[in-house]
Amino acid sequence: MTNLPTHLRKIGQVFVDESMTDTPVALRVRSRLAEGGRADIPWTVIPPDQDRVVFDRGETQAVYLKEYKGRFLRFCPGTRAYHCCGYRIIHIGENCPMACSYCILQAYFQDRVLKVWANQDDLFRELADGFGADRDTRYRVGTGEFTDSLALEHLTGYSRDLVHFLEDYDNVVLELKSKVVDLTWMDGTTRTDRVLPAWSLNAPFINEHEEFGVSTLTERLEAARTCAEAGFKVCLHFDPIIRFDGWREGYAEIIDRIFDYVKPEQIAYMSLGSFRCMPQLNPIIEDKFPETTYIYNEFVPGLDGKARLLRPLRVEQFQFMVDRLRAHGMEEQLYFCMESTEVWNEVFGYAPKDFGGLGKRLMGRAFGE
Amino acid sequence: MQLTSEIFSSPTQAIHTGGGHLFWSGNISESLKNSIAEFGQSAPVLVYNGEQGPTLAAGSARLAVLAELGRPVLARMIEGADDVSLGLLYLADNAHRQIDDAMRFKTLQYFAPLLDTADLEQDILPRLGVRPKSKDARLLLDWLGLPGPWQELLGRGTLPLAAGMVLARMDDADRDAVMPLFADMAWSRSNAVNVLTWLYEAARMAGTPVAEVMDKAGMSALLGQGLSPKDAIARLCATARQARHPELTRLRERFDAAARTVTGGTGWKLFQPDNFETNGAELSVRIKDRAQLAQAVEELHGMADNPAWETVFRPGGDND
Repeated sequence: MTNLPTHLRKIGQVFVDESMTDTPVALRVRSRLAEGGRADIPWTVIPPDQDRVVFDRGETQAVYLKEYKGRFLRFCPGTRAYHCCGYRIIHIGENCPMACSYCILQAYFQDRVLKVWANQDDLFRELADGFGADRDTRYRVGTGEFTDSLALEHLTGYSRDLVHFLEDYDNVVLELKSKVVDLTWMDGTTRTDRVLPAWSLNAPFINEHEEFGVSTLTERLEAARTCAEAGFKVCLHFDPIIRFDGWREGYAEIIDRIFDYVKPEQIAYMSLGSFRCMPQLNPIIEDKFPETTYIYNEFVPGLDGKARLLRPLRVEQFQFMVDRLRAHGMEEQLYFCMESTEVWNEVFGYAPKDFGGLGKRLMGRAFGE
Repeated sequence: MQLTSEIFSSPTQAIHTGGGHLFWSGNISESLKNSIAEFGQSAPVLVYNGEQGPTLAAGSARLAVLAELGRPVLARMIEGADDVSLGLLYLADNAHRQIDDAMRFKTLQYFAPLLDTADLEQDILPRLGVRPKSKDARLLLDWLGLPGPWQELLGRGTLPLAAGMVLARMDDADRDAVMPLFADMAWSRSNAVNVLTWLYEAARMAGTPVAEVMDKAGMSALLGQGLSPKDAIARLCATARQARHPELTRLRERFDAAARTVTGGTGWKLFQPDNFETNGAELSVRIKDRAQLAQAVEELHGMADNPAWETVFRPGGDND
């Protein structure tokens, strides 16, 4: 009988690079699986001359504790055609155990292998070189680009290690973006001003019909309140905003609920992003989520080649949501993820250049200015 | 099954020609006729002893030409043939032929009752020049699941192979609704795929049957207007696109009307390059000498104050 969190119960195999078998992460995963009643999960050691694993056992997922040889600190893969928030990525692993129909990770990683970079020493060395080179250069970083920041936290304790490591770097703010609730990282840091716990939100209908294996909206908002009460500023993200029958009522409901849990001044920032995707994601969604219909909205190729909702339609949604959020006292916290100057002007009445650039504004808010 | 060394001459009418394994028979090239008439039969047809006596395994075109010429046929006997090996032998004997999607599908139709899907994909499709797991492989296998009348349309070349993917996603009622579009007109690949996809997706988005989308859009009425196939297909495509992209169509119509107002009577062309993702528009003109350049500049100057520019830049109006 397992007592692992629901979203980890499909894990049925662990792969570990031979060089990583005794790393803290590997030892922790082994002991926590055992504590969770899953000591029976087979472990396979991958020899050094094997650079990838092939795993295909239906719905069963595998964790792969890998020695990662690439760059850990990266730029967000934004595009010049739209305003990017300019955040930097700390690459801690790839893929996600949850299943959200709209998730781009399905197109990036077409297997059920959850990769964790187990060579944390290399990670911390690279981060120390980067962040320590010039303590006057500020960094706004996050781990939620190629995986969910906290999805595997119960097994790996990765974010707890990371926030503890970053205690020494006053010039770094770390955002932990997730759709699950795991707050075990909180006692790894004393710097409530340098960690931004963040949750994605969506309309209840989308949460119920398009997100699977995730925490409920209420659980996420309760977690945000817990963090805010502990002194952290939190981030909330509406991304992807989806057009469906009843979207006004749905987004109005979740927007109003936010402020039952946190106050605007406790929110560092909040992004709004309309559903957009690489063309190859659509057939994947059609195959894996046959009940999903929002992909048949009026999408057109955007300036970056991704399919985007026709501009007047997404502006209509943005205007509705921004008006509602403004009524709750939100203003400078709000920004668009990957939108054009035209859309900024139409909805907000100003564009990033009017306040010195989006990256600069968010950096300031992240550092509590 | 094996080819024997028994080669014999026989009257053509003594060879029985029934059997589904002759799945590509029917097309006889002029060059084969001329060759046999000039030089005779260079390679024997293949026959086996069937229930009705000597039965053709491969070589139906040669047999037909020889019958037409009133000459006997040279035949080679095979032994131990079953339905699968007969089909494979027929394929091997016809390996030189240029094959199209309809021929590939006829082959799959023959083998489908005899083999499971994995064997079809791994063994038969490569013999037809189709890689297993490829898009074409999936399309061909999708077609096998479609009702007979649709398979017949593919076999006739009225519908392209690529249409199978969206047809396979429709239910019977939706397929029945679109069948009249293809009954009497041969569609190009892009038009067929587009119109089916637009109708299917519009219906999914609206949560209604395809028939309802077609009725609302007036497509059923269009079919009864006696238009030429070319005009009918163009109108049907435009109507289906509008049903799928109503707001984009509205923007395009407003933009195009404004563009015509601005550029009317000039050599300039005005178009929107990015699906209204920006407020931008692109102007172009073709000139071949300085005089035309001067005229274009003058026209441009005259266009600049046209009030329709506001619609060009904001075709959605204040709600843009």
